[in-house]
Amino acid sequence: MHNKKFIKVRDITLFLLPALLLFVGVLIAPILMSGYYSLFDWNGMGDRTFVGLANYKELFTSIDINFLLALRNSLLLAVLSVFLQLPLSLALALALGKGIKGERLFLSVFFAPVLISTVVIGQLWLKIYNPDYGLLNSLLRALDLEDNIMRWTGDTKDVLWLGNVKIALGAVFVPTLWQYVGYHMLLMYAGVKGVPVDLREAAMLDGASSGQVNRYIVLPYIKPIIKISIIFAVTGSLKSFDLIYVLTNGGPLHSTEVPSTLMISMMFLRNRYGMGSTIAVMLIILCFAFALLIGAAFRKED
Amino acid sequence: MKRRLIALALAAVMVLSAAGCGNGGSKGKTKLEMWCIATESDSNRKSYEKAIADVTAAHPEIEFTWEAFENQSYKTKIKAAVAADEMPDIFFTWSCAFLGDFVDAGRVYCLDDEYKNWSKELDVKMLTNSTYNGKHYGIPLTMTIVGLFANMDILKQVGYTEVPGTYKEFIECCDKLVKKGIIPFGCAGKETWCVTEYLESVIEKSAGAEVLNDIFLGKSTWNNKDVADAVDTFQGMVTKGYFDPNGMALGNDEVKANFMKGKYAFYMNGTWNCADFANNADFFPKVKVAEFPVINADKSQLGQLIGGPSDTLAVAKSSKNAKKAAAFAFELGKEICHYGYLDGCGLPAWTPYYDTSSVNALTRSVADIVANSNFMVLFGDTAQNADSANIYLSYVEKVYGCQIDGQGFIAGLAKDIK
Repeated sequence: MHNKKFIKVRDITLFLLPALLLFVGVLIAPILMSGYYSLFDWNGMGDRTFVGLANYKELFTSIDINFLLALRNSLLLAVLSVFLQLPLSLALALALGKGIKGERLFLSVFFAPVLISTVVIGQLWLKIYNPDYGLLNSLLRALDLEDNIMRWTGDTKDVLWLGNVKIALGAVFVPTLWQYVGYHMLLMYAGVKGVPVDLREAAMLDGASSGQVNRYIVLPYIKPIIKISIIFAVTGSLKSFDLIYVLTNGGPLHSTEVPSTLMISMMFLRNRYGMGSTIAVMLIILCFAFALLIGAAFRKED
Repeated sequence: MKRRLIALALAAVMVLSAAGCGNGGSKGKTKLEMWCIATESDSNRKSYEKAIADVTAAHPEIEFTWEAFENQSYKTKIKAAVAADEMPDIFFTWSCAFLGDFVDAGRVYCLDDEYKNWSKELDVKMLTNSTYNGKHYGIPLTMTIVGLFANMDILKQVGYTEVPGTYKEFIECCDKLVKKGIIPFGCAGKETWCVTEYLESVIEKSAGAEVLNDIFLGKSTWNNKDVADAVDTFQGMVTKGYFDPNGMALGNDEVKANFMKGKYAFYMNGTWNCADFANNADFFPKVKVAEFPVINADKSQLGQLIGGPSDTLAVAKSSKNAKKAAAFAFELGKEICHYGYLDGCGLPAWTPYYDTSSVNALTRSVADIVANSNFMVLFGDTAQNADSANIYLSYVEKVYGCQIDGQGFIAGLAKDIK
């Protein structure tokens, strides 16, 4: 009996071991290493000096690093993702889920930005925002609106979408939000399509309008997907990096800085691996905390 | 059993062939790898290609591969590679503090022994910026300075046939340009190093080269009133509309293209640009290069320049063939310098052994400026260590964006740079 139990435990362990090793090696170990390095003043190459929690203290107090501004920018992006990007994705998913004409075409068109490389999207938007020949300023000039906007932004020659501290953050957020509308739409669309037809038909027979069907049948049905979308949107915002790096690299004057661009700057431009690791640890903590909070909020509502 | 034996035999063959692949290159050749920043759009690309073709042809025993990366991303890549001790055998680097961090970490091969074979062609003075604790770690390529490039077609529109030689004339010229609706300076605010090309020249010609050099080398503090005044002078140029207001949103390639299209009268940047200007047949006859005029004659003088030998090749200490890599890198460096000078990418750090009559007129003007120089201050973002350099760039950006004045600049830097 004892022997059988031992064999069972041994077999389970053997089967789990490869995945466990991979999980620990790829995810857990780097997190632990980052945590360890965050306790040192280290340029990544030479000797390390143990400084305890000094990096964490400096991260939240240093005006030079200005982590709180970067964090504020990320949280603002998270709020916009949840209250602008996701409702738009949901509206598109509900509209397409009805089975409108050209459903597949629209699905492909809305999903296309997700498939395009972020660097390519960044280059496209750089052209759109270019102050001299950019599409946006050309359009504003054609509509005779550029001067009005310049009066508001304080620019003197052209509207500097990515070069003006006042508007650069908003200008960076637009493509960041736009790029992933299709991604969330596809998740929700799959959920909408999974709603049993008989449930819809029963509601319609009882006299429910299309809006009421969506409100009382579809939305509760796809709630788990909405929860996942919110978690992805919030954690994705906290981790946002590539598009911002291509468009502004955190500038002008750090106005579009987010924790990830700050981390890269600390590690590879300023050779402060200890501080870069501290930002990495803070990002991990924030992403986990927000994922747990969102999960808890949904459980409470249930 | 037979199948098992066949499988084992196949596995053994695969293992042996894999081991063979990883051992010293094909047909007994020594494998050497190099990373650099000579991308397709880089002024130095052609000189690298020609030099590599020559040197690899002369060394059939070497299997040489090379990769080029964009300037900004290369800084990240090479630092990550050094941190992981996974550098290529030969790598491009900037001298002074940039290479100094790698040397301090013990990751760079000392070139003292190999240098003995090249000392007649490469003056030891050229190694100053890559010498640490009396040992040489870098092979300089070309030497560049910050030049004041002027579009003479535009200057003629406001009555100038030469680049104004004194600061008073220079400012008068800028005022006339502004009055005529022409932007005097093109500067890429998106890449802060481009702003430093202007600011450092203004500081040097106001407070003196020695003051700026001592600050960059950490011998004295930023808390210097002359520097604050110079920064205010620079900011005055910004507020008077001398700089393209769109510059804050533009990268250097865009600004350079605008200058060549005739959008700006002046463009202060590295003299490596001479190659690109010389290659543009329409633009080349219009452009001249000069030294930035002296602002305060009591503290500065003509001949004080920003620049020096910075572009460097180095050899990884971890290279399995470090000795061969060092010899190869010296030969390659000499040839890159040779072709780079002929193309106009910079002045030669190595003694020319060839006919230089084909060097373009713009580069020859730069050579004249350097020949008359008496003090060179290396670029601020190269001379200072990585942390200090980036804090410095952050404050330069604030000055250009008019977020702080000269006093704020010196006080902030004195506080933040340890």
